Amino acid sequence: MRLSLIFKVTGYFLRFFGLMFLWPMAMAAYYREWADLGGFALAGLLAAAIGQAMWLSHPEREPELRRIEALAVVAGTWLVVALLGSVPYLWVGLSPVDAVFESMSGFTTTGATIFTDFSVFGRGLLFWRSLTQWIGGMGVITLFVAVLPRLAMGVGRLFFTEAPGPTDQKLTPHIRQTALVLWRLYAGLTLVEFLALSVAGMPYYDSLCHAMTTLAAGGFSPHALSIAGYENAAVEWIICVFMFLAGANFALQYRALLGRPGVLVRDEEFRIYTAIVLVAALFLSGFVWRAGTEMTEAVRHGLFQTLSILTTTGYASVDFQPWSDQALMILLTLMFIGGCAGSAAGGPKVIRHVLIGRYTLTELRRTLHPRGVLPVKISGRVVPDDVMRTVLVFFLVYVLMTALCVIAVVLLGADLITGITATMATLGNVGPGLGLVGPMANYGHLHPVSKVVLTGAMWIGRLEVLTVLALLRPEVWRLAHWRPVARR
Amino acid sequence: MQIIIIGGGEIGYALAKALADEHELCVLDTELSVADRFGLLDVEFLTGSGTSSSLLERARVETCDLLIACTGLDEVNIVACSLGSQLGCRRTICFVSREDFVHTTEGRESLSEHFGIDQVIWPEAQLADAIERIIMAPGSVDAGVFAGGEIRLLEFRLGADSPLVGKSIAALSLPYGVVIVAVHHGDATTIPHGRTVLNPGDKVVLMGTREAMKALQRLLSPEASSGRARVVTIIGGGDVGLRVAQHLESEPGIQLYVVEHDHARGEMLAATLGNALILEGDGTDLSLLESEEIGRSDVLVSVIDNDERNLLACLIGRQLGVGSVITRVSTPANLRLFELVGIDVALSARGAAVASVVHQIDGGRSSLLAVLEEGQAKVIELTVPDGFPAIALRDLAMPNEAIIGSIVRGADVIVPRGEDHIEPGDRLLVCATGISAEQVRALFTTGSH
Repeated sequence: MRLSLIFKVTGYFLRFFGLMFLWPMAMAAYYREWADLGGFALAGLLAAAIGQAMWLSHPEREPELRRIEALAVVAGTWLVVALLGSVPYLWVGLSPVDAVFESMSGFTTTGATIFTDFSVFGRGLLFWRSLTQWIGGMGVITLFVAVLPRLAMGVGRLFFTEAPGPTDQKLTPHIRQTALVLWRLYAGLTLVEFLALSVAGMPYYDSLCHAMTTLAAGGFSPHALSIAGYENAAVEWIICVFMFLAGANFALQYRALLGRPGVLVRDEEFRIYTAIVLVAALFLSGFVWRAGTEMTEAVRHGLFQTLSILTTTGYASVDFQPWSDQALMILLTLMFIGGCAGSAAGGPKVIRHVLIGRYTLTELRRTLHPRGVLPVKISGRVVPDDVMRTVLVFFLVYVLMTALCVIAVVLLGADLITGITATMATLGNVGPGLGLVGPMANYGHLHPVSKVVLTGAMWIGRLEVLTVLALLRPEVWRLAHWRPVARR
Repeated sequence: MQIIIIGGGEIGYALAKALADEHELCVLDTELSVADRFGLLDVEFLTGSGTSSSLLERARVETCDLLIACTGLDEVNIVACSLGSQLGCRRTICFVSREDFVHTTEGRESLSEHFGIDQVIWPEAQLADAIERIIMAPGSVDAGVFAGGEIRLLEFRLGADSPLVGKSIAALSLPYGVVIVAVHHGDATTIPHGRTVLNPGDKVVLMGTREAMKALQRLLSPEASSGRARVVTIIGGGDVGLRVAQHLESEPGIQLYVVEHDHARGEMLAATLGNALILEGDGTDLSLLESEEIGRSDVLVSVIDNDERNLLACLIGRQLGVGSVITRVSTPANLRLFELVGIDVALSARGAAVASVVHQIDGGRSSLLAVLEEGQAKVIELTVPDGFPAIALRDLAMPNEAIIGSIVRGADVIVPRGEDHIEPGDRLLVCATGISAEQVRALFTTGSH
């Protein structure tokens, strides 16, 4: 592992990342929040300076990143971006732990917040909070790959390491073209939602923030009561539609938009995802309706909360904390499923559940036919053994990570429900949990060490666990060196 | 007719043997060693590649009427046909063994358009289709479908308890619309008369309308039409095995096993086939067949590329209790042997293909629909010429060894009896043995009776 090369590539991204701070600056200037400007300016300058320094750390142009180096670049970039993104929060007086938590929650599209009183924060800062989710939704690296001039340094590896779920669909022969196509689709959908929300009566500023955080499956809202605060049924229906899209595979949507809607029906993951949404919404609405809510409202909240939790967005159209345990159990289950591969959603992903289910059935069948050739198939195609193995290990590690985080958070003083749901909500990038971290509550009251643990959970969860854990292997660091030494 | 045959393998030899007496043949092969075999036939043999234009010119391709490319390599066959038609050959027939070239109808068209190939013959596909037809007609040992599915032909082997045994044909109560068109007794195939009595062990060929044949099947093999899911085991997942499996998979109520010894091929089969269970192992591995209860299969199809192993697999299957066993035979000489030791159906892919080519060349205006009992009898289709008088069948001077199985008149199908008439424009499906086929053809081409 050549550290200087990793620094160089990360620095390359960071220089560009500095420009991102111009948007909240413009927003803050528009709303005349002059005091907040300094935070964004400082963050932007820091990003540019650190980026430039890192860029210079490796003089010559290296041909290609190796696999482990690509992993390090992706993990490192996300970490540094989250740290720099916390500077504006520090500027307004948040503690370092809280600021990094909020920033990481943004970039990983989790949507868990430590904010208690929203009125003390300016519109520029709340816009930045939404923007971090929007950037993180499609992926920091994907954005850089799409926008920056061509990198000759193993870009493909970077691209797929970050992509959520086991997917390798290239839409065009060029990675950069693919990234660009995906970002255009993502931005286009965001624009459509912004317009729809504005027409439905939401103020422009709020429409923009919500459009960005819906498509990112993020869940940050500039309103303290989330979507429930607007009391607008049309807005809720619109957001339902876009949450559904955010949780579905973007590459698939692109191909459907190209005039082949048949691909949606043929894609097994999309079919199962749709079925999960419908069945879960039906049961959830039923439970809510039985508890005494009016029928249409029960259906709306049932569908909204199903989508919000399944796609790991984390909005609340209603405070679901007082719902019956049956309803909460459904939400908890959805939290453990997640969206589709190649979407903005987090969680273990629908396709992994399907694959593991099929693998289990196949193994049962193998005991009956020991000599049978029994491949696991999805959408009519055979899943290679190595992919299957990765999926299995992912699942084991995901469960193990959940257990470890729950133990840590509960031992540090949280109650059991809070500890379990806070872990699931952060590792799965959902956002709100239950109990003391419920939809109308926040993470601010947790022990600072718990916050650090959960910040790590968000980071690991967004990068799909294995990417980060592979970097912790000692042999990676034993072989790490600053720069290749020329032999004479 | 002047004919060039490219490729002196099994197909080339069989073609040359059948055509040498009547036609002027030139056989091309790269291997000098096969020349000895052709030395016994009255043909010219040239050593060299069929893709060389100078060699084709030596074979006088510019005046040649027909070029048949039947080497083992599809690409060579295509190039040879293309070159032949460029150099002036009137008609080309190309043998292929892989799906790539004939996968779609566009494929066929582009073959004739870009390569000048008039006809593509894919023996493995014909074999696979034949196997599928036999499986889908439980109890039968051969099956054919004509006139767009309206007319069916089935061959059965009669057991001692068969309802057809022991009575004269005139006394049998066959479903209306079914005729017995041929009987195979001992070594000889004959066209039956009303007085013919059927014996156990005979094979009978019946022709009739679709509905009538369904009734017949219920009569002859009641247990097979009970609607229970049928279990089919295919041994060998090669080209033929895969094709049969693909066809059967789309049929409801069939449970499919495919035994394939090659690991990579097995994975490919498992990826291609949705519902079949692929077993990795040898088709002659008794412990595998026993542990998977292959003996409970209704049909076992063995299509390995090796006659001996096919025979062994079939015999093991039979021993384990399989209902009926079907196998492919590569060497035509083995056909009889296989049936003697109890294989229900032995089919030769090349035999059928060669017969169809020979009939095309010698058959004039009739077309060959089926070859029965290694060519002892044929089913041919004739069109009654204009100006032929409409007369009752009983007044027609048919040769003894020929029978009209069906008359296709427009959209109607008639299974004729003595009082039925034939009219100009009718298409007749005739079953005939040996020389009688020629006589029937002569009857309808000259117009005299």
